[in-house]
Amino acid sequence: MSDLVISTSKLTKEYIRDEFKVVALRDADLEVRRGDFVALMGPSGSGKSTLLHLTAAMDRPTSGTINVLGSDLNSLSDSAIARWRNRHVGFVFQSFNLIPVLTALENVELPLKLTHLKKGERIQHAATALRLVGLGERLGHFPRQLSGGEEQRVAIARAIVTDPDILLCDEPTGNLDARSAQEVLALISTLNKEHGKTIVMVTHDPHAAHHAARIRYLDKGELLPDGSKPQDWN
Amino acid sequence: MRFLPLIVKNCLRNRRRSVLTVASLSISLCLLGVLMALYYALFFGGPAKAQARRIVTRHKVSIVFQMPIYYREQIRKVAGVEEVAIWQWYGGVYKDSRDQRNFFPRLGVEADRLFKIYQDYRIPEDQKQAFMRDPAGCVVGRSLANRFGFQVGDKILIKGDIFPFDLDLTIRGIFETSEGSDEALWFNFKYLENALHDSSRLAAGTFTLLARSPEDVPRICREVDALFANSPAPTKTESEYAFGLSFLSFLGNIKVILMSICGAVTFTILLISANTMAMSVRERVREVGVLKTLGFQAGTILWLILAESGLIAMIGGAIGLAVAQLLCLVIRQGPAIVDQTKTLSIQPPVFAALVGVSLFIGVASAIAPAWSAARQNIVDALRFTD
Ligand SMILES: Nc1ncnc2c1ncn2[C@@H]1O[C@H](COP(=O)(O)OP(=O)(O)OP(=O)(O)O)[C@@H](O)[C@H]1O
Ligand SMILES: [Mg+2]
Repeated sequence: MSDLVISTSKLTKEYIRDEFKVVALRDADLEVRRGDFVALMGPSGSGKSTLLHLTAAMDRPTSGTINVLGSDLNSLSDSAIARWRNRHVGFVFQSFNLIPVLTALENVELPLKLTHLKKGERIQHAATALRLVGLGERLGHFPRQLSGGEEQRVAIARAIVTDPDILLCDEPTGNLDARSAQEVLALISTLNKEHGKTIVMVTHDPHAAHHAARIRYLDKGELLPDGSKPQDWN
Repeated sequence: MRFLPLIVKNCLRNRRRSVLTVASLSISLCLLGVLMALYYALFFGGPAKAQARRIVTRHKVSIVFQMPIYYREQIRKVAGVEEVAIWQWYGGVYKDSRDQRNFFPRLGVEADRLFKIYQDYRIPEDQKQAFMRDPAGCVVGRSLANRFGFQVGDKILIKGDIFPFDLDLTIRGIFETSEGSDEALWFNFKYLENALHDSSRLAAGTFTLLARSPEDVPRICREVDALFANSPAPTKTESEYAFGLSFLSFLGNIKVILMSICGAVTFTILLISANTMAMSVRERVREVGVLKTLGFQAGTILWLILAESGLIAMIGGAIGLAVAQLLCLVIRQGPAIVDQTKTLSIQPPVFAALVGVSLFIGVASAIAPAWSAARQNIVDALRFTD
């Protein structure tokens, strides 16, 4: 397998909303290599989340091809995709999206419930992931007992607990204060540099983007060529 | 099974709502349980052990028509009949007929034969002997005795209405039974013989037969009726159990009434819990999107929601069942509306049916929201804001 982990060609996603067609993403060609850390930037509504969702196979493209980790996502069935995502992709949301009735440990254990691991192993893995994000002392805490930054770190632990190759983050610091954001960004960098995770991160924050190895811009659904920015950008 | 903790926690998510749902489910299922127990007792229960050998012969046209006394000897000759006794409904008025409390059955019985047929009715031997010896003697059931404070040796006067004479009776004994009703007064048939002599009014209201075995009952019924088919007083013979049920039809079509109440109750709980489940799933659309992002399959999501709803329904059902069983106990203690209420309880088939209904309500109420949650597109689910 080549070290190209994400490769899309003419990837297009259209939404029909109130009889109007919205082209959220048009003919995007994106290539991401193993161990890369790419930041996606662009104005609101430019298609950043859409590109991320298609990469995680959370939605199907209208046209174009997408190959992630050697799998042609268009050819996989829904259930095969669910299994594939569980194993290979971690996703981090802007609004954390922890399950409120579960503790930090149980939240992190959740993706492992879909694997063949036994209860003891699952707990062990989940605790390890939580220690990795610096929350080894907070295993039994519920989301409402944690700060925003801590919640996001639990969410990151949940995203990496299955040891996926790719970590996709959609504005992971968007809901955080500067200090928590800094901690989360440091954590994501560590995951990239020390654990070799391939990372694609959507962000509005130029400071956050600087943690990435390179930045790609989107504008009005178009993925701009490497190195170029939208005209009125900063 | 590894999802059980998640399912339980989802149930407890909105405690007040879950408690209210469980409460309404248990109340309805309790009601359903008692109704079904009653229905079962009436239409499926079958006769109690002692009753299984008893047969009743009456006039084919109506219970109010009489049959000649000599039928007894002819019936006695039918193979498999061990004993035959005459019953005669006296009616009459005790004290004041305007008071409902003063109404109870008053029947002339053949004292010597009767207790051979009703072996499950218990009476002290000396009281039984005294009853048989005294042509103006009577026995009363334990419940009736308790109601009026009757004691052995008391005098009772019943004014005649159907018959042109009064009954001046002495209580010779008190009988008890655990199976049937004991709210009755039985007086010695000799009283009627002495009062009516050989007039045509001396007749039998019904005959009660004791069959050698329950298997003989259907054949005996056929043979007895054949015996009198062409006489001026043809008969209708059936098991005592069936005979008892035929009285219930006087109360209207109980079967249909019970069935429709059961149906209405089930339908109502179904609507209530469907509404609750729809609400509770709707609040979690985003979460379903998150679970799917983590790799949960549509089928797993469907299963999780159905299991949650099923669990709530089963808890409601279990509580309802327990309370229903308790209510049956209370009904057993109360006055017998029909004999069957004396032994009312949740029988295994009713138990199974209630568990089935609970499960059905759990699954049916959640199937629509669960199905649409399972099928929903992840991105749409994550964009959902409430
Ligand atoms: N599920 C959907 N249904 C309809 N329209 C959608 C859907 N998802 C996205 N869109 C539209 O597609 C376009 C791109 O959306 P997308 O969420 O990818 O933008 P974004 O770059 O992530 O924006 P933001 O920075 O605000 O998050 C927008 O116009 C959006 O309204
Ligand atoms: Mg977005």
